[in-house]
Amino acid sequence: MDQIPGRKGGGQKELMSMTALLFYGFATVAIASAWLLVSIRNIARSLFLFFIVLFSVAGLYVFALADFVAITQILVYVGGVLVLMLFAFMLSNKELLKDLQVGVSHFFALPAWQSAVIAASFLAVLIYTSLQLGAEEPSWISASREKDTVIMPTDQTIQHIGVQLMTRYLLPFEIVSVLLMAALIGAAHLTRKEAKP
Amino acid sequence: MPATALTYPLLAALSAVLLPFLGFLLSAALGKKAGNGAIAISAISLSLLAAGYAFSQVWNQEPIHVQWNWFTVGSQEFHVGLMLDNMAVLMLVLVCLIALPVHIYSAAYMKGDPGIHRYWTYLSLFCFAMLGLVVADNLLLMYVCWELVGFASYLLIGFWFTKDAAVQANKKAFIVNRIGDLGFLIGIALTYSHLGTLDTGALVAAPETLPAPWLTVAGLAFFLGAMAKSAQFPLHVWLPDAMEGPTSVSSLIHAATMVAAGVFLLARIFPVFNETVLLVIAATGAITALVAAYFALTQFDIKKILAFSTISQLGFMMVGIGIGMYPVALFHLSTHAFFKCLLFLCAGAVIHEMQHIKETHGLAIDPQDIRNMGGLRKYMPLTFAAMLIASLALAGFPFTSGYLSKDALIVHSFEWAALQPGAAKLIPYVLALVSMLTSFYILRLLAKVFFGAFSVASANGTIRPHEVPAKMLVPMLFLAGCSLFPLFSIHPLNDGHVWLMQGLTTTVSTLPPLRMLHLVIPLLTASATCVAATVAWHWYVNGRYPLKTTGLFYRLSQNQGYLDTLYDATVVRPILRLSRLLLWTDHYIVDRAVNGLAALGRSFAATAAWIDQRLVDGLVRLVGKLAWGLGNVFRRLQTGRVQHYFTTLFLLILVILLYHIVVLL
Amino acid sequence: MIPLTHFLIVGACLFAAGLYAVLARRNAILVLVGIELMINASILNLVAFGRYDKTLYGGQVFALFAIVLAAAAVAVALAIILNVYKFHKSVNPEDIKNLKD
Repeated sequence: MDQIPGRKGGGQKELMSMTALLFYGFATVAIASAWLLVSIRNIARSLFLFFIVLFSVAGLYVFALADFVAITQILVYVGGVLVLMLFAFMLSNKELLKDLQVGVSHFFALPAWQSAVIAASFLAVLIYTSLQLGAEEPSWISASREKDTVIMPTDQTIQHIGVQLMTRYLLPFEIVSVLLMAALIGAAHLTRKEAKP
Repeated sequence: MPATALTYPLLAALSAVLLPFLGFLLSAALGKKAGNGAIAISAISLSLLAAGYAFSQVWNQEPIHVQWNWFTVGSQEFHVGLMLDNMAVLMLVLVCLIALPVHIYSAAYMKGDPGIHRYWTYLSLFCFAMLGLVVADNLLLMYVCWELVGFASYLLIGFWFTKDAAVQANKKAFIVNRIGDLGFLIGIALTYSHLGTLDTGALVAAPETLPAPWLTVAGLAFFLGAMAKSAQFPLHVWLPDAMEGPTSVSSLIHAATMVAAGVFLLARIFPVFNETVLLVIAATGAITALVAAYFALTQFDIKKILAFSTISQLGFMMVGIGIGMYPVALFHLSTHAFFKCLLFLCAGAVIHEMQHIKETHGLAIDPQDIRNMGGLRKYMPLTFAAMLIASLALAGFPFTSGYLSKDALIVHSFEWAALQPGAAKLIPYVLALVSMLTSFYILRLLAKVFFGAFSVASANGTIRPHEVPAKMLVPMLFLAGCSLFPLFSIHPLNDGHVWLMQGLTTTVSTLPPLRMLHLVIPLLTASATCVAATVAWHWYVNGRYPLKTTGLFYRLSQNQGYLDTLYDATVVRPILRLSRLLLWTDHYIVDRAVNGLAALGRSFAATAAWIDQRLVDGLVRLVGKLAWGLGNVFRRLQTGRVQHYFTTLFLLILVILLYHIVVLL
Repeated sequence: MIPLTHFLIVGACLFAAGLYAVLARRNAILVLVGIELMINASILNLVAFGRYDKTLYGGQVFALFAIVLAAAAVAVALAIILNVYKFHKSVNPEDIKNLKD
């Protein structure tokens, strides 16, 4: 069927399908927010940008056919971690709000070049490795493709994750929960107010 | 044959020798407490008794020879022993007989001297050494005693050691004697090398064991030793200076005994000397006699006149040996011992008085200068009498012992010369001339000292010399008695009856006698003495001295032939220069070398220290510093800032990843 | 669908950003944010690879655990930051140099 060029729609003959487009959109937002967040001086704005990064990454999870993980990301990370950080940040001393770089009045914090070089190098190495991975698929991925154990969009991941959590991954599950409890108790203990004599 | 049985004469001789040594040890041990001389005098008296006994037992009897083993070197034994024959016991008695009066005299002469205890000690040492020398049976023992005698002489000449002149004199005596000792040693060495033993008896028995040229050399060497000890020309220079010692010392040592030791040695080993050596001995003796008499003519010091007189008479004795008549020489030695000792003791008496006058009246005179004396006959008659007898004995006037010995010598020398060729014929004429000169100088001395006016008293009328005390007079008078003929011969004018010579002339060849001379010579000498006495009276007592005192011969005589100056210029100064040169060498070259070596060692040490400090320690410290530096470098990583740690961590991970990618591509 | 490498590249970019924040920012909270970004990048990786694991669902389950752990880490980290601030009066990691040699 003839398609009108440029019209967005779910056609497989489009140069860029809708999923791809959305994916690239989320990816761009995530990456841009991330790079911006590590550059600007205003911490409050950084935290909000972090918020956007988390959401975008959750969207990317969806495209990896990990919908439960995406939801969990939103619930836990955005709803828990980020909020925690915001609270800790906003409700704490005014000193904490200050960005302590001296004598800089720009919008951006000047990049420390050693760190930038290291980060860039890591980026280069990782991208290179990824491209290598793409050029030559790992054997287990090829094997799973042949055995047709690739997760399809039509799979009910929640059900399978639940089953796996209660059977195969029970032990890690319990341990993680204990660890979480320990961490929270510890954090609470760390920040308790000392009783005044 | 050496016998080891200790017979009485042997014991007597041993005790005669050893008693003075005991005296020496005791006096030395007692120190200042031995000041009164009782030990020394008693030792020498006992020695005299023992010697007299030994003499009585051995004279004209079988000689006694005993030997003990002293030490062994390798396979060769050296002995110490006594040989008691006529010669030895004669000398034994003679020495003791002279020494005892001198000891008694010294007790008065040296009274009040602060060092008198040393005097007795040294005197005992001397007596021991001299007695040991005359009885020694081998050359080694004789040499030991020879040296000891020289040493005792050194100690006694320099007795008043605070006086510079005395110190110089004793040094001179010792050094000049050393030259002679060299000769003696060479003789000993030659004897030992050819004979294998040092026994005098063996040497005397077989002198031909030494081959001809060595025999002459040995003879000359022994004579050299005797030359120095018996003050022969030109080694006589020490004897006039030795007069710095006390007069009693001069009388014993430098007139009677020590100087006779040389003559004694030559007599002991007489068979060793061959024709050539004997001729040399005779010639030297004659020259000495003449030169010494010449020097004695113009001396003003009373003791120096007597010293030159001694040298002259020793020359006579040497001639006696040289003509082959050593018994005559020994006879003259014996008579000379008595009258020369007496002459010195009288001179000592006079000096003692002059010294006393000088001190009491505070005069600035030389107590020994005869020009300060005169007319002492009135004040010291007994001294004058003793001195007169002694002077007559010296001059060889009849009825004295000196007449017998001197005329015997002169006569025998004429007999000897008759058999000799060439210049040797002069010797007896020289002796005759010396005889006349002897008379002159001794009578000059008598005239100036005892006759005329007392020159010191002329200025101050209250000065009166006194006669000397009895302790000094008695020995003098005793010796005066011994200087007359009865001690030696029954017949006063004929020497054929002298018991001494009869005892000694057993193996010596006699010369064909010239009967005429036995009359002529005594007449000649007696008349010469009278002439000399007249001349001396005329010149000195009456004051009519005709000669110039500035003439060449006069000055030559007075300055002792300028021999001392000659020796000083040719021997002493070069040696001093040499020693200064050696000192310079030692100081600048040897010491510099040693210091240089030390400095070299020090610089090595410094270099080593530098190396050790800078290089080795530096190396060690460098290692430490490297470790520290390296650590310091890595310390900078520990900044405490967590982001730096992160940076490092991720940098490393990056490097690992890059490595994996690049290398394992 | 979306090729694997795309996910990985996105994750790489996020990781680099987080790394930069950890190394270079002068505020402890932003360092924490950087850590979170890195954890997020790793979870993205996990999820991307987990698509090919239907039998075990290992990637996704581990991603869940990672999220939980990240939350715990944040909580503890914030407590620590508050205490550090009380003591040093500063949240600049540059100022906390007590362990300097």
